[in-house]
Amino acid sequence: MGQVLRVDLTKGKPKIEQLPHKLVLNYVGGTGFAARILFDELRPGMDAFSPENRLIFATGPLTGTLWPTAGRLAAYAKSPLTGIWGEAHCGGFFGPELKFAGYDMLILQGRAKQPVYLWIDDGTVEILPARDLWGRNTAETTDMIRERHGDKEIEVGCIGQAGERLVRFACIMNNFQDTAGRVGLGAVMGSKNLKAVAVRGSQAVTVADDDRFMELVDDAHERVLKQPQAQQMTKYGTPLLVAYKSKIGELPTRNHQTGVFANSDKLNADTIRAKYFTKTRSCFACRIMCKKVNRIPEGKYKGTISGGPEYESIYSLGTNCGVDDFGAVLRANQLCNLYGQDSISAGCIIAWLMECYERGLVTRKQCDGLDLKWGNHEAMIALIEKIAKREGIGDLLAEGSYLAAKRLGKGGEYVMHVKKMEISGQDGRTHRSVALTHAISVRGADHLRSLVTVDQLGYEDTAAKRYGKDKLPEVCDPYTEKYKAMVVRDAEDTFAIRDSLIVCWYSCGWPPIFWMPDFATVAAAATGVEEFGKLEHMYHIAQRICNLRRAFNVREGLDKRHDNIPKRFTHEPMPEGPGKGQVANLEQMLREYYELRGWDRKGIPTKRTLTELGLSDVAEELKRLGRM
Amino acid sequence: MARIVYAGEGCTGCKICSVACAYAHDRAFSVKAGRIWVVKEEPLTDVPVTCYQCVKPPCKDVCPVGAISRVDDLVLIDENTCIGCGACVEACPFGAVTLHPTRGVAIKCDLCGGKEPQCVKVCPAKVLKLQVPAVVAQERRPRK
Repeated sequence: MGQVLRVDLTKGKPKIEQLPHKLVLNYVGGTGFAARILFDELRPGMDAFSPENRLIFATGPLTGTLWPTAGRLAAYAKSPLTGIWGEAHCGGFFGPELKFAGYDMLILQGRAKQPVYLWIDDGTVEILPARDLWGRNTAETTDMIRERHGDKEIEVGCIGQAGERLVRFACIMNNFQDTAGRVGLGAVMGSKNLKAVAVRGSQAVTVADDDRFMELVDDAHERVLKQPQAQQMTKYGTPLLVAYKSKIGELPTRNHQTGVFANSDKLNADTIRAKYFTKTRSCFACRIMCKKVNRIPEGKYKGTISGGPEYESIYSLGTNCGVDDFGAVLRANQLCNLYGQDSISAGCIIAWLMECYERGLVTRKQCDGLDLKWGNHEAMIALIEKIAKREGIGDLLAEGSYLAAKRLGKGGEYVMHVKKMEISGQDGRTHRSVALTHAISVRGADHLRSLVTVDQLGYEDTAAKRYGKDKLPEVCDPYTEKYKAMVVRDAEDTFAIRDSLIVCWYSCGWPPIFWMPDFATVAAAATGVEEFGKLEHMYHIAQRICNLRRAFNVREGLDKRHDNIPKRFTHEPMPEGPGKGQVANLEQMLREYYELRGWDRKGIPTKRTLTELGLSDVAEELKRLGRM
Repeated sequence: MARIVYAGEGCTGCKICSVACAYAHDRAFSVKAGRIWVVKEEPLTDVPVTCYQCVKPPCKDVCPVGAISRVDDLVLIDENTCIGCGACVEACPFGAVTLHPTRGVAIKCDLCGGKEPQCVKVCPAKVLKLQVPAVVAQERRPRK
């Protein structure tokens, strides 16, 4: 182990490098590794579709082991959607397989002259022609590669037509329903003429201290097993959130105009379970088993059978487009997976266009004759196809809502984005910490890098344990900014380590089982690096990772001006429901957050902060570029 | 004559059984070095497969060096005698024997050598059991 596979697609040459021990000591794995590599190897201002862009597939020290929820893959590159730090995580089986093949990381660079796919069979690495795969959807591609190599257990990470056509929010699909979804990494793959990466690994993963590690694993499984919310997740999956978010009035509806969706019961977990649920599936060695396969028994979408949708897709392709037909949501989600495009961005872009249409900013003719009324799911599905094929108005939408509005010259004020990425299914008005999370997230409008749940879901015991009883009740009050900078920073730090180890969000953020102390302990046992076991040291590494990712974005020209949320959240009070009248006050939280991070008022890490974290070279680079 | 039995539904296809099995035998995490595997098909099939500990084991019959024996209702492979030819892999009607991915010798379920079988212990969906055929049959009989 400890190998990095680097493939230059221009030269057609794979090369095996040893994983530098210093990189492990300073950055742990996954996100930490990628932060250092992308900062070091990418030229600032570079086009994300340039052959020089690196696409990294990374694993972490826990990948492929029995630690619950550690079967993940993380992908990184400069994002073509946002032009900044790009990161997307994926469940399934690809990550462990890459590690079983003997690689902690795969770095792709260059651009193949013809469509190709990469075949990794332990030590054999080949770049093979993919002309017959080009134009195929992600399921066909997976099946064809498995058939070609005569092995149904090969893991395939691939792009669909959306990635080939450089849809800026194209995703990388693995195993039919698992996706490195956001920020358009599938388009980066497409720009490299790389249709797929197929892996077969027959080696084993070992850890440094077996006995200690297995003790921790047993305890971890026990804790997941006993957690009531984890049991609910096992039964219902993420659609659980629909009813809860409906109850608190934060189910983003019609392009985030309100948090109240009249027919939410048609999309909630009880309804799905009773009417559509067919089978539970699971990612690698996971005890939570949140994946659900659903089937539509009647109506227009009768016969549709597919994994998902997750809560986020129910939001983006359902409530946010005013759609209450579950069959339509499942079909739309399935199409996104087959074409290989991020279902969150896709739904949000359509919701934006629907709002423009309803407000008369675009005509029916401009929308290829589609009647884009709220809730018109047939039009929504037509648009998903058009985006993937870049047909008609789909060509505009494929650029992402920010660029689409620019090009259209209209509707910019209704684009719900941060740093050009479409917003995830939360609302900063009724969940103040998420206003800050969306604003500061390193990949734009994202919940997964620092989402705090103790306030939204009212986990008082967890909050008291993590932050002290004296922080209650404010810390759990979603309607106040107090303490939110502190908890967001703590979550961001913890998740930087979570994403470096790499484990799933479902087990630490929600349900709240593991947190930084658990990660520190298990990281030490897995790697044998004793310092990892010290909480303070782990937080130090986490801050190093967070600052380096931030520095990547600062180098691209970002600062406080970009740490913003849509005006709707700061100037339009929530119009109805339990959160009626709430708005987000971002300024106060941002100020506190920058202070806690050791950044200046413009949100730039100070020289002192960077130097303390062992990043003086980064400080010098920012200074050289006049960014500090 | 207990063996590992799948309840017939409920497997989620996570492969933790394979990984725990490999770890129990090799102290290393792997899917392919496991002695139980999950057959996965889209969109709905996940079925764990392992050795039935046959009374007349075809694997034993074809072994050219006599490395496979049946002892106390358990079909065992003597890894020291095994030459890694793979005849047993081809003979098993269930695909329940394979060659170890790195050592090359034949491996199959040995019920963890008398300890609690790890696949049964870790299965999150609790769909694997260590059962004798009489009870398996009993559970299959309709009670209504």
